[in-house]
Amino acid sequence: MIQAKNVDFYYGDFHALKNISMEIAANTVTAFIGPSGCGKSTFLRLFNRMNDMIPDTRLTGQCIVDGSDIYGKGVNVDDLRRRVGMVFQKPNPFPKSIFENVAYGLRVNGITDKEFIRNRVEESLRSAALWNEVKDKLKKSAFELSGGQQQRLCIARAMAIKPSVLLMDEPASALDPISTSKIEEMIHELKKDYTIVIVTHNMQQAARVSDMTGFFMLGELIEFSDTKKMFLNPDKQQTQNYITGRFG
Amino acid sequence: MKRFKRILERIVESILTVSGAVTTVTILLIIIFLFREGLGLFRSPAVEKGYALCVNSSNTVDHLNSHQIKEIFDYEIENWAELGGRDEAIEVFRFDEIFSRYTDEELGADYELLPDKLGEVITSSPGIIAFLPTQYLPQGMQGVKVLRSDRITPADFFGGRQWIPTATPAPQFGVLPLILGTLWVSIVAILIALPLGLGVAIYLSELAGQKMRKILKPTIELLAGIPSVVYGFFGLVVLVPLVQKTFGLPVGETGFTGSLILAIMALPTIITVAEDAMRSTPRAMREASLALGATHWQTIYKVIVPYAKSGISAAVVLGIGRAIGETMAVLMVTGNAAVMPRTLFEPLRTIPATIAAELGEAPAGGAHYQALFLLGCVLFFFTLLISVSAEAISKRNFNKGL
Repeated sequence: MIQAKNVDFYYGDFHALKNISMEIAANTVTAFIGPSGCGKSTFLRLFNRMNDMIPDTRLTGQCIVDGSDIYGKGVNVDDLRRRVGMVFQKPNPFPKSIFENVAYGLRVNGITDKEFIRNRVEESLRSAALWNEVKDKLKKSAFELSGGQQQRLCIARAMAIKPSVLLMDEPASALDPISTSKIEEMIHELKKDYTIVIVTHNMQQAARVSDMTGFFMLGELIEFSDTKKMFLNPDKQQTQNYITGRFG
Repeated sequence: MKRFKRILERIVESILTVSGAVTTVTILLIIIFLFREGLGLFRSPAVEKGYALCVNSSNTVDHLNSHQIKEIFDYEIENWAELGGRDEAIEVFRFDEIFSRYTDEELGADYELLPDKLGEVITSSPGIIAFLPTQYLPQGMQGVKVLRSDRITPADFFGGRQWIPTATPAPQFGVLPLILGTLWVSIVAILIALPLGLGVAIYLSELAGQKMRKILKPTIELLAGIPSVVYGFFGLVVLVPLVQKTFGLPVGETGFTGSLILAIMALPTIITVAEDAMRSTPRAMREASLALGATHWQTIYKVIVPYAKSGISAAVVLGIGRAIGETMAVLMVTGNAAVMPRTLFEPLRTIPATIAAELGEAPAGGAHYQALFLLGCVLFFFTLLISVSAEAISKRNFNKGL
């Protein structure tokens, strides 16, 4: 499904990712953990080519989604991003109405059928567990929602175009515990339809939501294995130290 | 030490308060002064100061407004019947003519007999209207009636189609040609500058490479600092002949030339302000849009431009403000003909250019001087209207979150 082969990534002279290889199966939840600046977000953002916007970056190796190298020649980046959705660390709704936020992805992809858009918006808001809270104020500005609601709105927005992969970059780090647990519940549900990759600072969260966990440090993938094994009986000493909090 | 600090803070605080108050009061005083001087115009008589109009006492007309007076002395109106009087041909008599009818001896050494002679002339001709200095007025003579002169009315000022402040006996202060001139020049300037400015702003903030932006941005900002008289000079030397040749006009100093120069002058402001607004769109907004499969271009017009809307409307207001209030450059290239503009390709004149050109020759306190102040008030209202409406627009957008 998703595959990285000997990926090296540079910001200018800075070697941010060092020879990373990984395979992620479809319909699983994979968590990336590691200290700040370890490259886990950078690695995540490789898969929808979000790092393209940062000037002076360089990549070697291959990133494969659905069997094709997404950094190969003739790849349509917009099309890739339609298939690989993303949820960001801070909720970032557009300054538009709740409805238009969710419909945005459909509209930019050329869908004009009003009935279809309406149904898809409702469906997405339902699967983001937000429908009941917002169904009476779809025309209101998205900024009127609370932080947790905004983040679920952003998840609904990402799901509206039915990507096959959902990348989540610390989706709950700016939220309170209740909103966080709502999002975690949602991730369990979404697993049926999506392949989810989530970056998190919160190790309990990684343990709760993921099937597989990757531990990054200083741009290297130290360990990548089954979540249970990772948290109970890691192979590497570094992983053990990080998980038990002996190392920051 | 601590007490000393507290006292110092108090002093700084009071200085700031005082300076704020002084500034506010000064601004208010300036506005009050402007309006007081300007509104004085409506207390001025239609006839030039120090002069009066006399008719034969048999005439049934008592008073005339400034427009009628002008028509009479331009021989446009030739019969009293047109003014509600009897059917009698109008005979226009100017003060100078007395010297061709009587010799100096007859008028007396110190012109002490002049009023009597004027009275004789007026009494002898039933259709006469005489324009005389008040000091030689044949007062109290039978057969002479001094016309009550109307005051200049707001209708004369705001509805008047002629701006001839030096006309005798009745100067014309019709502001319509100037208002129209200002609006035409400014609106066309904005129509030229806005799409161009926004285009360049979008290019600079979204499409240009780092290097290009590093060269372009300071250059454009430099343009904003060029004094307007230099722009005017450039317009006079380059644009005027260009417009004349391109459109095959008898003169190149036209409203359109003014619009062009104003557009050039408003561009740097529009570009810089709009570009800053667009670049301040959070990265998260762009990323959110791109991550949903939107193309770069879709992101620009669906997210970045709407997000920067209030900044862009600020740019528009600043641009319009510059265009409406700009004086020097427009004065130099529009040809300064205070006539009702029929097309943009003929000379016209704007309000600021009128004030600048005429204030020097208008005697302080006179009707002309007051009329110029009133023009200032009109200009003030224009800019006030624009900024208030822009504020309202940006606020409405913001509240909607759209």
